[in-house]
Amino acid sequence: MAIRKLLLLLFILSLLATPEATGQEPDTVKSVRGASNSLYAEDNENNCLVCHGRLVYSLTDTTTGTTRKQLMSEHNLVVPDMFYNSVHWSFSCLDCHSEGFKTFPHPLETRFESSWGCIDCHGYDPNYARYKFEEIDAEYQRSIHYTATEGLISCWKCHDPHYYNPLARQARGGREYIIRSNEMCLRCHGNSDVMGLINDENVSIVLPKHEWLPDVDRHMEAVRCIDCHTRMNDSVLVAHEVMPADSAVRGCAECHSQNSILMGTLYKYVSQETRVEKGFLNGVILRNESYVIGANRSKFISFTGMFLIGMTIAIAMVHTLFRIIIKRKQVVHE
Amino acid sequence: MSKNFYHYPVWVRLWHLTNAILCLFLIVTGFSMLYSDPDRALVVKFQRAVSIHNVCGVLLTISYTAFLIGNIFTENGRHYLVAVKGMAERLWKQARYYGFGYFKGEEAPFPVTGTRKFNPLQQVSYVGVMYFILPMLFVTGWALMFPEFILKRFLGFSGVFLTDQFHVILGFLVVVFLCIHLYVSTMGKSPLSNFRSIITGWQESH
Repeated sequence: MAIRKLLLLLFILSLLATPEATGQEPDTVKSVRGASNSLYAEDNENNCLVCHGRLVYSLTDTTTGTTRKQLMSEHNLVVPDMFYNSVHWSFSCLDCHSEGFKTFPHPLETRFESSWGCIDCHGYDPNYARYKFEEIDAEYQRSIHYTATEGLISCWKCHDPHYYNPLARQARGGREYIIRSNEMCLRCHGNSDVMGLINDENVSIVLPKHEWLPDVDRHMEAVRCIDCHTRMNDSVLVAHEVMPADSAVRGCAECHSQNSILMGTLYKYVSQETRVEKGFLNGVILRNESYVIGANRSKFISFTGMFLIGMTIAIAMVHTLFRIIIKRKQVVHE
Repeated sequence: MSKNFYHYPVWVRLWHLTNAILCLFLIVTGFSMLYSDPDRALVVKFQRAVSIHNVCGVLLTISYTAFLIGNIFTENGRHYLVAVKGMAERLWKQARYYGFGYFKGEEAPFPVTGTRKFNPLQQVSYVGVMYFILPMLFVTGWALMFPEFILKRFLGFSGVFLTDQFHVILGFLVVVFLCIHLYVSTMGKSPLSNFRSIITGWQESH
């Protein structure tokens, strides 16, 4: 009998044992990142980063021997420390850039080189299967970023490959992750000069268009731009099918209601990623910022629940009333 | 002449007290999470309610595990074993007593004895809450903290949404149970005798 109880206890405890957080590859790479571990660091430093790794570089005219210091454009600058801390830290510059860059001054055709996209390296690779790059690429090709610009807005416009790190791992919590995610959009949509890349006309920046939102600032801090501006797809970690502005979510009830669109995307992503980064206690229990006010409010369930509670209390009150009446009768009788 | 029976050993009383406090916190914070507005908190501010609800949910899981272990290794578990044969008849007898017999001064059909702590209605409702509703609340509550384990879509709805709604429905059922539990507790030998029992451990028969 005692053995049976012990086995039953062990069975129950095995059911209660929570599985380890899954869905994240072991980040062993992180511990060995850095210029000192990169096979190509020296090569990069002695060649490309001599100029592109510095804000001020020296340019020498080989005919006259004249040397002049120049400022490197911020768009062509690669900060070495940040590069060696990114996920692509171990690559040589020429792994991704064309051989033409070996020549200086760089020939004109290098200006027209076609960049690799994420899918070119990560697609159909079982090691990256959980990120579903193929599905993300298909979404991107349907997105307004691709269709309206003939691919000019490539992966790199949002995810700079020189500095790329998964956003949630850099952020200190759900709220910071959201702010950083939105900064990614605002780098272009908050800057009319950059928007000039795709439109010669006077492009208005994005923020004034959101003034219809009640409490704009709070929304900008609590919801990612993509939660309203992409077509929802909860089978990829982050939806990439950016829709035209007039197709964006505008109804309050789409988030602050039952079946909130945020439950399938932002909630899952933030709670999952912050748990991996901050741990269960801090990321999930104490500072869980993935809940949305009103996201689980259903009129039907609220009404039925409140009705049941009300009925229970009413029956108890009627019962109590009868008890009091009977008690009084008994006292009078005695 | 009523008799006293020692039905609530120290561990049961401690567990019951812990359970009661945690459930109250969970109900209050649960309602706050459900009905707070961005500018108006319902009892507890939304974000604080989330943290308190999560902490209490984890603690309640631990306390529930202690309860299960206690029921397996002590005699207390026996009171939760429902005999299926003749159950409908026993439930009807007890319901009839609460509805009519109690007012007519009839004897309770299933009085507290040395071997019987719960009447059939109590037994069925306690088993329902402790062995069905609470475990499902734990499963749905923990699933919401580990949403990657939830089905992505079911019948066209987000799996997280359905899990959440199920959690809310179960929460409402616990509140209904709590109301009934508190009220029925006033129907002992005297209105306060059952409350005394869960403090002293001794239950009065009537």
